[in-house]
Amino acid sequence: MSDLKNFTCIGCPIGCPLQLTHEGRDILEIEGFQCNRGAKYAKQEFEDPRRFMSTTVAIEGARWKRLPVKVTAPVPKDRVVAAAFEIHKLAVTAPVRLGDVLLKDLLGEKGVDVVATRTMDRI
Amino acid sequence: MLGRMEGPYDVMVVGGGPAGLAAAIGARDAGARRVLVIDREAEAGGILLQCIHSGFGLHYFKQELTGPEYAERFVTEALDHEIDILPNSYVSGIGLDSDGAKRVRILSDHYGLQTKTCRSVVLAMGCRERTRGAIRIPGTRPSGVLTAGLAQKFTNMMGYLPGRRVAILGSGDIGLIMARRLVLEGCEVVGVFELMPYSNGLTRNVVQCLDDFGIPLHLSTTVTEIMGQDRLRGIKVAPVGPGFKPDMSKEHAIDCDTLLLSIGLIPENEMSQSLGIQLDLTTRGPIVSSTLETSLPGVFACGNVLHVHDLVDFVTGEALRAGRHAGEYAMGIRRAQDNIRLVPGDNVRYCVPHSLSTGHEHQIFMRCKEPMKPCEIIIGDIMRKKLSFVVPAEMIMFKIKPDALDQFQGDTLRIDIRPLDR
Repeated sequence: MSDLKNFTCIGCPIGCPLQLTHEGRDILEIEGFQCNRGAKYAKQEFEDPRRFMSTTVAIEGARWKRLPVKVTAPVPKDRVVAAAFEIHKLAVTAPVRLGDVLLKDLLGEKGVDVVATRTMDRI
Repeated sequence: MLGRMEGPYDVMVVGGGPAGLAAAIGARDAGARRVLVIDREAEAGGILLQCIHSGFGLHYFKQELTGPEYAERFVTEALDHEIDILPNSYVSGIGLDSDGAKRVRILSDHYGLQTKTCRSVVLAMGCRERTRGAIRIPGTRPSGVLTAGLAQKFTNMMGYLPGRRVAILGSGDIGLIMARRLVLEGCEVVGVFELMPYSNGLTRNVVQCLDDFGIPLHLSTTVTEIMGQDRLRGIKVAPVGPGFKPDMSKEHAIDCDTLLLSIGLIPENEMSQSLGIQLDLTTRGPIVSSTLETSLPGVFACGNVLHVHDLVDFVTGEALRAGRHAGEYAMGIRRAQDNIRLVPGDNVRYCVPHSLSTGHEHQIFMRCKEPMKPCEIIIGDIMRKKLSFVVPAEMIMFKIKPDALDQFQGDTLRIDIRPLDR
């Protein structure tokens, strides 16, 4: 017996409605995409859904109280909130440069680093 | 950021967000030697600095950047172009000399009140959020009711959380982005309420900001009452029927301490109005020619002050063009006046620019009134373009090539969007 799963692609603003037919863990067919990102997204979403994420951390000695950060690789979808809470434990001191690595292997995920997404000078 | 103002300038740009920075770069590229960007905030970059999520730059940089990353690239590029940036300053008036020069009055923390002369001006003041007053929600006036963008600045830059249990009115992208953002900050988001029968945000944002976190989206629903004395205690919501009239028999209370409003943006045109610049009643931005020049010669407009865009990449493209034309104007280059008026027709809410000229390529931005699929854009009898769908939340853009206008003899071009049979 094959089953159907519906996804909405988040690869770009078009948001293609995707249909993935599977039997157990085997993918039989993916339909509904207008570009390759859609097919890739549906496969990834079925096998191991992940999300990029961004949040902020506390910063001392800068113009603002919060420094924006992001992860360099996507984290499992069901660990996004846990990842944010983990990142919020960080506190940094200005100056910080765009791209500075603030934490490596977030939540033990190999290659998922937390980096600053802007430069903040010391004030 | 170190402020710098010398002068005289060829081009002055009012506003240092993505539009202003790109306009300044465009002006330099067109040959203007001295360009000044004036911004009221402590640093240039505009609203991008508080938009810490990614999704910017897919068109322009061919990669997905966060707002601060996009802003930093443009600030760096502006400084590389030897553009002066003056923060903590604002333009309090613009006057015209008899020879066409602009006299710009600038109030600045560093230089005090000064008047500087330039050849052309680019308006890039952006837009601001509609507030509770714009939609007149009944009820008390407690704290805890604020616009989504203000909550974004509090949360992402200033380090304040707006509250703990949050309801959001309006499903525009800022509202959706803030729903996810506040969940990541440990808040509970009880729901997003949308007056229209469809979301006003991008589908991808409904998926990755609401669905991923189990936040309910209530369509055709609005807030009917705000409750609480000092602090918001809760809201009442009701589904809406025909004519968006709330069905009060189904009104019910929702417990929350914060209500975010994501109910639209208004171009910030007080300055334009004080200059007597003609505005478009629909976009609420200036009426512009194909060179993005307003009704005041030598004053150009771009970005969200001209019309509200949904992607910063489009702002950048438009602003580079406006800046180039402002730069050319400052160097004494004049184009013949436009000879074709562009008029919105069926299912077209607005189009920008408002006129065209033969002999040039034109970039048209427009929005539809209602969702339609599939459909066709019909530009007079010179051009047709099929689209699989249009929705009001997504700007439609296309180019008109010079040869399409070659044979055109009229002085008015009407644009319609009509349904296509499947």
